[in-house]
Amino acid sequence: MEKILYSLREIEAVASRVLGEARGKTLLFHGDMGVGKTTLIKAMALKLGVGDMTGSPTFGLVHEYRDKDGLPVYHFDFYRIEDETEALDMGVEEYLYSGDWLFIEWPEKIGGLLPEDAVDIYMEELEDGRRALSF
Amino acid sequence: MTGLITGTGIKCLPLQAATFIPKIHMKEQKTYILAIESSCDDTSAAVLLNGKVLSNVVATQKIHEEYGGVVPELASRAHQQNIVPVVHTALNKANIGKKELSAIAFTSGPGLLGSLLVGTSFAKSLALALHIPLIEVNHMQAHILAHFIEDQGQDKPSFPFLAMTISGGHTQIIRADGFFDMTVIGETIDDAVGEAFDKSAKILGLPYPGGPLIDRYAREGNPGAFAFPKPKVDGLDFSFSGLKTSILYFVRKHQKEDPAFVEHHLKDICASIQYTIVNILMDKLKKASKETGIRQIAIGGGVSANSGIREALKKGEKKYGWKTYIPKFEYTTDNAAMIGITGYLKYLENDFSSQNVTAKARFKV
Repeated sequence: MEKILYSLREIEAVASRVLGEARGKTLLFHGDMGVGKTTLIKAMALKLGVGDMTGSPTFGLVHEYRDKDGLPVYHFDFYRIEDETEALDMGVEEYLYSGDWLFIEWPEKIGGLLPEDAVDIYMEELEDGRRALSF
Repeated sequence: MTGLITGTGIKCLPLQAATFIPKIHMKEQKTYILAIESSCDDTSAAVLLNGKVLSNVVATQKIHEEYGGVVPELASRAHQQNIVPVVHTALNKANIGKKELSAIAFTSGPGLLGSLLVGTSFAKSLALALHIPLIEVNHMQAHILAHFIEDQGQDKPSFPFLAMTISGGHTQIIRADGFFDMTVIGETIDDAVGEAFDKSAKILGLPYPGGPLIDRYAREGNPGAFAFPKPKVDGLDFSFSGLKTSILYFVRKHQKEDPAFVEHHLKDICASIQYTIVNILMDKLKKASKETGIRQIAIGGGVSANSGIREALKKGEKKYGWKTYIPKFEYTTDNAAMIGITGYLKYLENDFSSQNVTAKARFKV
């Protein structure tokens, strides 16, 4: 597993690379709070042609964007979920098997529900403030 | 005429047709609206009579018990389990039967699609079965129109006014020129303000939802003890995700010197975080008021309970001549009463939906 080291200035290139090289459209972002998961996901959404990232206020669980072709791109944040039942209650399965781009933060919280072919992306902060990403 | 007495099928039709038409035209009569809200976590139902709330029920375990418990094999999702008992309880508390209803209002968006679908399908089916009009409601409009619920014993804003909706899911400033003439002039580009409170609390090790706890500790702390940077966002939009990261770095840095830093300074940290968040909100609100020349400010959403925000609004009244409005707390969080008042106002304008109406995860005001 190759590690990509990057700083915030290089985020656009990293976003393109993840989109181009990931083997699947369900991406699981692992990393501590503040490591930059949301920032990377927003950069990736921009690359997909998402123009408007507002207007989907759903308690942070899922933000639904539209790419340049009008197709949905889903951005999940399961940080506040306590168990998988809560995710089932919101109908997460429909999203997980939709075939659309899925960017998922805190996937550990719904580990048992995730599709087998989901791509794990690991992010960590380095001593010098740069980030290391591997998938 | 004999058909009216003998066959129930024939008996029903003329009666319903006879009651359906006058209800729409005789607006001064009693208008009962059943309202259903299922946009996010909670399933809620309310019954309103001419803008007055007769019942406003949120699904709880107690309702399930009174109704005979949850039947898990019938429903895999919370809303599906909740919707029938909640509507049943709302009608019972309002002391009316479903045949007396004039129309059914429901949240069609924005929200979680799976959750919205439950309320939408239920409302459509019931309206069809009762042969009464169906009214779709935008959840964000409803948060603002909650100010017009009749029984609150307080002044209502008059148009035009600025509405700021602040909750765990929303942060918006809206210019309201009429009940259904609203424009979003500012909103968050990332986290909602309630999320900012909850995530900050999580960094401090407080349990979820930590927003109210931050408020409680903040009241005894010094808001000037620590300084956190405010985001630079153009116009009237908000951003809260950077604050979370700066709090994280701040805590980490101080914990290197004192592992119990958070415990030692909890009240001051909470007060400083709250001070920063309230300032971010107030800066944009001041800007919005200045740019539009509007000084009536109506607040909605669960975060309106925050004491720091309430104090800042009071200051705004003295300093900038604002007149501020906050509804009763039960009408600020997600609730069906606000869907009901919006439904009633739409009913008065004959603004009904057809059976083709669908749930919309994204639904602009």
